[in-house]
Parts: sequence; structure tokens; C-alpha cells
Amino acid sequence: MIVKTVGLTRTYRLGASIITAVSEVNLEIKEATFVSILGPSGAGKTTLLNLIGLNDYPTAGKVIFKGEDTSLLTDNKRRKIRLRDIGFIFQTFNLLPTLTALENVELPMALAKISLKEQRERATQLLESVGLKDRIQHRPKELSTGEMQRVAIARALANSPSLILADEPTGELDSETGSEIIKLLFNLCRKQKTTVIVATHDKKVAKIADITYEIRDGSLHKLTR
Amino acid sequence: MRITMMCLRNLLRRRFRTSLCLLGIAIATMFIVGIGATTTRYAAVIREMNVFFSGDVVVVAKGSFVVQGFPIGGALQERTVEDVKEVEGVKNAVPMLFVIASEGFIQPVPLNISIGVPAGNWSVLVGLTPLRPGGTWPSGDLSEKETVIGPSLADQHNFTVGSNITVKNYELEVKGVLDTRSALLSRVIILPLELAQDVYGYNMLINMVIVEPDEGVTESKLADRIEEEIGGVRALTGVERNEMVEPLLHDIETWNLGIRSVLFFLSIVLVMTVAMINVSERRRDFATLAAIGAPRSSIVRMVITETGLIGLFGGLAGILLGMVATLLLASFYTNIPISVFIPDIFIIVSPTLMTEILLSTIAISCIAGILPAITAARASIAEVLRAEY
Repeated sequence: MIVKTVGLTRTYRLGASIITAVSEVNLEIKEATFVSILGPSGAGKTTLLNLIGLNDYPTAGKVIFKGEDTSLLTDNKRRKIRLRDIGFIFQTFNLLPTLTALENVELPMALAKISLKEQRERATQLLESVGLKDRIQHRPKELSTGEMQRVAIARALANSPSLILADEPTGELDSETGSEIIKLLFNLCRKQKTTVIVATHDKKVAKIADITYEIRDGSLHKLTR
Repeated sequence: MRITMMCLRNLLRRRFRTSLCLLGIAIATMFIVGIGATTTRYAAVIREMNVFFSGDVVVVAKGSFVVQGFPIGGALQERTVEDVKEVEGVKNAVPMLFVIASEGFIQPVPLNISIGVPAGNWSVLVGLTPLRPGGTWPSGDLSEKETVIGPSLADQHNFTVGSNITVKNYELEVKGVLDTRSALLSRVIILPLELAQDVYGYNMLINMVIVEPDEGVTESKLADRIEEEIGGVRALTGVERNEMVEPLLHDIETWNLGIRSVLFFLSIVLVMTVAMINVSERRRDFATLAAIGAPRSSIVRMVITETGLIGLFGGLAGILLGMVATLLLASFYTNIPISVFIPDIFIIVSPTLMTEILLSTIAISCIAGILPAITAARASIAEVLRAEY
């Protein structure tokens, strides 16, 4: 089991009212599984991914990552897990605009204190694997949205994480590019035995996922095929 | 190295804002250098003047304003020197006439300084200072109207031995040019005493007497005796002369420090404001960095490096501008062409002062970056990333 959530709840205070973004989510995800979480905008997908990815703290419940209760971990330990074990892919790519594609991919490795030579070799290889061999010295603004998302995928893979969290990875892409990106993530899951959790409102993703959940008003339900 | 490169690119990405910030820091630094160098130079010149008349007592008129023994205003009858010689413990007494020539009220540095000294007593004023080759001291013959001038005056006007200079409608012949870097002697016109009295209309008047004590007689004891026995004079020892300028030097240094503090404070506000705007615009970048596992210290370091770079480049530009400003100020205050000061620029704006100001500018820029850096590092990743959708 790579991730397990127990009674995971996250509420926000909005003025006088309290909004429940994620409610009592119990989830168990095994290694090398491709999971999709379906739900409309505002259903709580991003909040759930942020909680699983240790970017946020639950109001109640806990996230168990590789058997370790993350609620007991210090900020620094959570950061180290994010750095080495979790790769993030965001809807808006979130590439650093002043860095080239190559440097964006090298960044997580630099933070993990991997040697410069190794960083360069691995980043080049990753960018080649996502089909961006000729674009490695380009800055994000010089790339198309599809290319930016590929760079983001390469960056997420930089430290060979065991879990990839993709938040609406196709949200900014046309349907053809979106399908390519999903295919890329699926192959990654199969070939590298990486667990991939994709939050999306695109039902086509659910068709290829091993497990699909639906989230509505913060509550998660498993969908059967 | 990589962080520095990233920071440079981040600064270049917001060229206009960065340029304005650099300009602000450069202007502040320019004023700090200009004012700092000018005041430091003033203080150094005033301190340097204490080397004159070492071991001697200087007698001046009571009530005259004195800078290191040199009186500004006030006069004594020439016969005072004979009265002084009568005092027990006096080995020798030399009368002098010290006249400052300046133009206008706002010119704190005189055009030149004329000093009348009885012929043959030149060493009482100049010590062992030599003349440039070919020069001789005036004979003392009043009809000859001879003078020795300082090197800065000579170089400014291309005067050499044999040149004629005009002072108060008197045409004087330059017999020698001093070979010295002393600030006071550089601008001096040394005349035989009687000639100086004629030129400046001090008929039978002087304004200072340099008194050499007998062996075994202390300066302070002799000064006390002179003041007791001769009315209307002040007798100043070397220590007293130095002590008298300390309040003036203290005031100069306090003003310098005050102006520097205000400018540094304004620089902090400027850099902090710009850094805060930069940080708020790049919240998503910092959140992304934190999400992929960057430690808070890296984010803090990145923001502080950026502000530090602004301090470095702004400081360097400011020092260059400050050197130019200092030359302009010096030229403005003295009516001496800038070209005369250029060879001495590293004496006027010392490398120590430049280093001190550059390090201070970098340090205050780094300090200004602390609050924006903490703001950047403390941002909640989830909130920032969620706000993007």
C-alpha cells in the first residue's frame, strides 16, 4: 500500500460559514496503480490531492504514506517525502518562467543534492522520453501548452518518485494533446511501476484507469465498471 | 551559483522595476559617497593641521575663532611679539599673519591661504618641506615682492618659478613652489610678513604668534604664563588646539552618520517594497518550489540573494556616481577644475570608504529582503496553488 487515508477531512472557514472541501475520505491505493478521481470543478479534487501530496494538513483524519503516519511527521520530513517520493503535475504546469525546460527538470534533482552531471544527464534523458529533445534549452513561454505539460511531467519524474499526483493535467490542453499526456502517464505507470493519481473531470481518463473514484461535495465514492 | 543565476534572471525579467530600484539605491549611495568623502576629507584636513607648530604655543587674540591654532578673524598688535618674548620660559617667538581668501558665503574651502612669515623663519611654518627644483625662498626685501606658493595652486594656474601672480592688486613673483601633499600647504601663498601686512592692509598687525618654549618648560605652563602676563590674548598648547576642533569634527561626523542613516533607511524601504511586490507576484513560483520539496531556507536565500544583488549592483553604480559627485562638489566648493582632483580621487574617496559603503549597501539590501523572504517562505502551498484555479 503506497497511500492510505483514514477519515480524511478538510474544512475551510469562509467568513462566518465553514466549507467542507473533503469529507471523511477513506482510500487505499496500491503500488503501480493508475487511479483517476473524477469530479466537477469545486468538488474537492485539488484539496484531496494536496492532502495526499502532503501540501496541506487535514482538519481531521490522516494520510498514511508507505506505512508511515504523516500526521506525526515534522514539516521537514514531509518536505523530504514530497521531494523524493512524490511528483506533482499541475493543471497550469507551474514551470518556473526564468528557467529553461532542462533547468526546470533539473530543479528537483538539485534540491535533492544530486550531482550536476547526473542532473544534466537524467534531465536530458527525461525530456527526450517525453519527446522534447529539441526543446530543452527553451523557456516555458517559448513552448506550447502541450510541451509545457510534458516538461512538467519530466520534472515530476526527476527524482524517480513512487507516486505521481496529477491535478487536471489535461485541463489546459486540446483533446488530442490531452490524450497523449494521459497515454504518457499511463505508460509511465505500467513501465516504471509508478502509482499515478489523476484528478480530472474528463471521463475518458476513467476508461483507462485501474480504479476510478468520484468525488462530489468532498465525499469520495468508488465507481465500478 | 545556480541560485545567483536564477535570481539574476528573475531580476532581469522585471527590468523596469529592477532598474528603478537600482537607480534609487545608486542615487542614495552616490549621496552617501559624496557626503561621506567630502566630510571625511574635511575631518582629515582639520586633523592634519595639528602637525603644524608641534611643541609650540600659539598665541592669538582673545575671541578669535581658531582652527588648529590658525585664527579666522581677530588681530594683535605686532609689538605683542615683543611682550611675549619677555615672558619667562620663552625661547623664541615668531609673528605671523594668516589670511583666508574665499569667494562668497557658500564656499567652505578657501581659494587660497596667505601666510605672512618674517623672512628666514619659514621653517616655523613649513618645517622640513622642500621646494620643487629651481625654487628659492624670498629674500625678504620688500621691494622685490616675492612669494612661495603651494603645489595645488601652482598646478591649477600653471605657475612656475619666475611666474607673476596678482594678489589684491599686488603683482608678486613666484620664487618657489612647495613640494608637499599637505592640504593646507597645497593652497598656501607664503609672503614675507611685512609684504603680507601691506597686501592685506594689516598695518603693524598680526594675528598669531608661534612661541617656542625654553628647554624644560612645558607648553601648558608657558601658555598659562603668557595669558597671565599679557592681556587680550589666548595661548594654546597643541593639546588644546586639538581639543578645540573635536566638537567641530564630532558635529561633522554626526551629520555624516545622520544623513547616511536616513539614506540607508530610505534604501531599505525601497528595496523591501520592490521585493514585496516581486514576492507577491511570484507566489505561485514559491508555492511550486515548496510543493516539489524546496526547503524554506532555499526560498529565503533566493529572495535575499535577489535583494543583495540589487544592493551590489546599485552600490557599485552609486560608488561610481559618488566619485563623480565628489569631484564636482570639490570643484564647486574650491573653484578648482575637476582635472586637478582626478589624480587624487582615491585619496578623496578612499578604497576603505568605498568598501565600507559597498558592504553596507549590500548588507542593508539583504536586511530589506528578510521580511519579503519570510513572507515567500511562509506562504501556504495549498492555498496558493488552489487560488490559481
